[in-house]
Amino acid sequence: MSRLALFIRPRGLVAAILVPVGAVALALLTTGILLLIVGSDPVQAYKSMFEAAFGNSFALGNTLVKTVPRLLPALGIAVALRAGLWNIGAEGQLYIGAIAATAITIWFPDLGAAGIVLALLAAALAGGAWGAVPGVLRATRGVNEVITSLMLVYVAILLAGYLVGGPWSVPNSSFPGSEPVSAGERLPIIWDKTLLNAGFLVALVLLGLTWVLVSRSSLGLRLRAVGGNVKSARLAGINVKRAIVVAMAISGAYAGLAGGIEILGVRGRLIDGFSPGYGFEAIAIALLGGLNPIGILLGALLFGALDAGSAGLQTAAPGTPSSIVQVSESLTVIYLLIALGARDMWMRRRSARAALAERSGEAPATGVASGGQEALG
Amino acid sequence: MGSHGFVTLLLVSAVSVGTPLLYTALGELISETTGVINIELEGMMLCGAFFGILGAYWTHGVVGGFVCAALGGALLAALHGVICFVFRANQVVSGVILNIFALGITSFLLSTVLAERVSKSITHLADIKIPLLSSIPAIGPAFFDQDVMVYVALLSVPAIWWLLNRTSLGLAMKAAGERPQAAESLGVDVGRTRWLALLACGCLAGIGGGQLAIAGIGFFTENMTAGIGYIALAAVIFGRWRAFGVLGAVLLFAIADAFQIRAAGLGVHIPYQFLAMLPYLVTLVALAGLLRRSNPPSALAVNYHPND
Repeated sequence: MSRLALFIRPRGLVAAILVPVGAVALALLTTGILLLIVGSDPVQAYKSMFEAAFGNSFALGNTLVKTVPRLLPALGIAVALRAGLWNIGAEGQLYIGAIAATAITIWFPDLGAAGIVLALLAAALAGGAWGAVPGVLRATRGVNEVITSLMLVYVAILLAGYLVGGPWSVPNSSFPGSEPVSAGERLPIIWDKTLLNAGFLVALVLLGLTWVLVSRSSLGLRLRAVGGNVKSARLAGINVKRAIVVAMAISGAYAGLAGGIEILGVRGRLIDGFSPGYGFEAIAIALLGGLNPIGILLGALLFGALDAGSAGLQTAAPGTPSSIVQVSESLTVIYLLIALGARDMWMRRRSARAALAERSGEAPATGVASGGQEALG
Repeated sequence: MGSHGFVTLLLVSAVSVGTPLLYTALGELISETTGVINIELEGMMLCGAFFGILGAYWTHGVVGGFVCAALGGALLAALHGVICFVFRANQVVSGVILNIFALGITSFLLSTVLAERVSKSITHLADIKIPLLSSIPAIGPAFFDQDVMVYVALLSVPAIWWLLNRTSLGLAMKAAGERPQAAESLGVDVGRTRWLALLACGCLAGIGGGQLAIAGIGFFTENMTAGIGYIALAAVIFGRWRAFGVLGAVLLFAIADAFQIRAAGLGVHIPYQFLAMLPYLVTLVALAGLLRRSNPPSALAVNYHPND
């Protein structure tokens, strides 16, 4: 069995590819029909979106830039889910990471490359700490991490709003944002004539690290054990409480890092409400990618391309609202959930039939397939 | 109004801020009692606000607006039910996705269907002044000189308390949320109970959104709920899953919100973000069990499948 088996059962590999691809196709079809109904030309709309996402190197650069803040939190969410934990608060951890990175650039504007490293480390640490709070509450007081991580999202967003409107506001500026990051501490552009910055490389390195962490490290095994069965994990000598906190902290660190990269690489300053919901989209992407790093990369690329493509709508297909991006993104995941549910339903029915046949002594039993969705829940 | 004191003005603001919140939180209370969590409350409110305005435009009336608002919220609830009950997806995931969907689809419809039609704002709800009570100092103008939807919201609190604590349906709802297997063996149709509660929640959250749009500003804007749905979610937790507890939580959150509107007039300067954080922070503290132990329904967010 390959190492990949830790992510996907080989038997399910075809389904793991076909189901998301089918969900994407159906979502684009549905959105196309919606566009037809309101009198827009879907072919023209999709063509202009494709142009703006992949048409030339600048467009492709934009797609990759918009992939990063979705990819990193999604990887973090997948790591937490390995341990059976739902980190719904990636959006807040992303904001805290952005705040921490901004703080470093404001306090130490002249450190150059060292400043970049320091700011990104601060972002990851801050995001990790923010993510660890729901972990600690879960481990010590048994509080469900879903609600606590969600509550912390808005605390973080409001904190960023306070900082850019108060202590970090720029005098005589009507625009609520912090002082621009000094040129030396901006993430360098790595592809000429595009906006692609070095944050993309950081994300790729983390993609590899995630694979190592989850499928080749003993920490990954411990997380998986805790996600599988807490009692047997405890019997195996695993410190379950610590594993829960560590999983949530790692998860938060990914999102925090994404926030730092967004400030140093893209926005160039902290801006009130700078994230259009990357952390929430990341939950969808983690599922779309089947919790597999490569699948998550593809999912993040898809959402990044849709985001970059929406810029093309304004110029090439005016009158087509850019909100079709959110519609098609969410429809993709809705179809995915429905398809996974339908697959499980079919498998249950088949195994029930096999059990019935076995009882009447006609046919040998076929393996009982476990449900994908239930395993995620 | 000029002669009213600070407390009166604060309460008047709090009641208008709190009414959409109260409808939505009561809906979520009903749903969570049966074991169904709705992260997509925000989306339900957005749908309610959008269809409320559209309905008020179509029917040239406020009543039609609120009916459409309820249906809009129920539509999103039905989608949640299909995804979670029929296809057995995780309720939290479904909720997160449906929020994105609701934001996308209402923005899409706003710019395509609603855009050129509702430039003129719709008729407002008239205030109904209750004799005698409305002249009570401080609380009179806030609670007894409001539009009819405010009274309905306030009266819903004892009604829902009665439903949950004094009727057999309420008992069945609690059983479905605490021990669905045991409830089923006692003859409770858990599936149907949960569906009904979910749809009721959709209607109430839709009305909450409708109140925000119809009684509030008279038109729909993109993402106009701006997080109220999440505060409603917090209010149910902080209210410890009880009708009057939810009312108390909503009042506290609404007064905090109104305070930031009114405090500026007093020359008190507190950054509004800190007051806006309050609902989330106190809910975290409550969840951590630092106040009093709060006990969510045992089967909250756990799907129930009778045939497995």
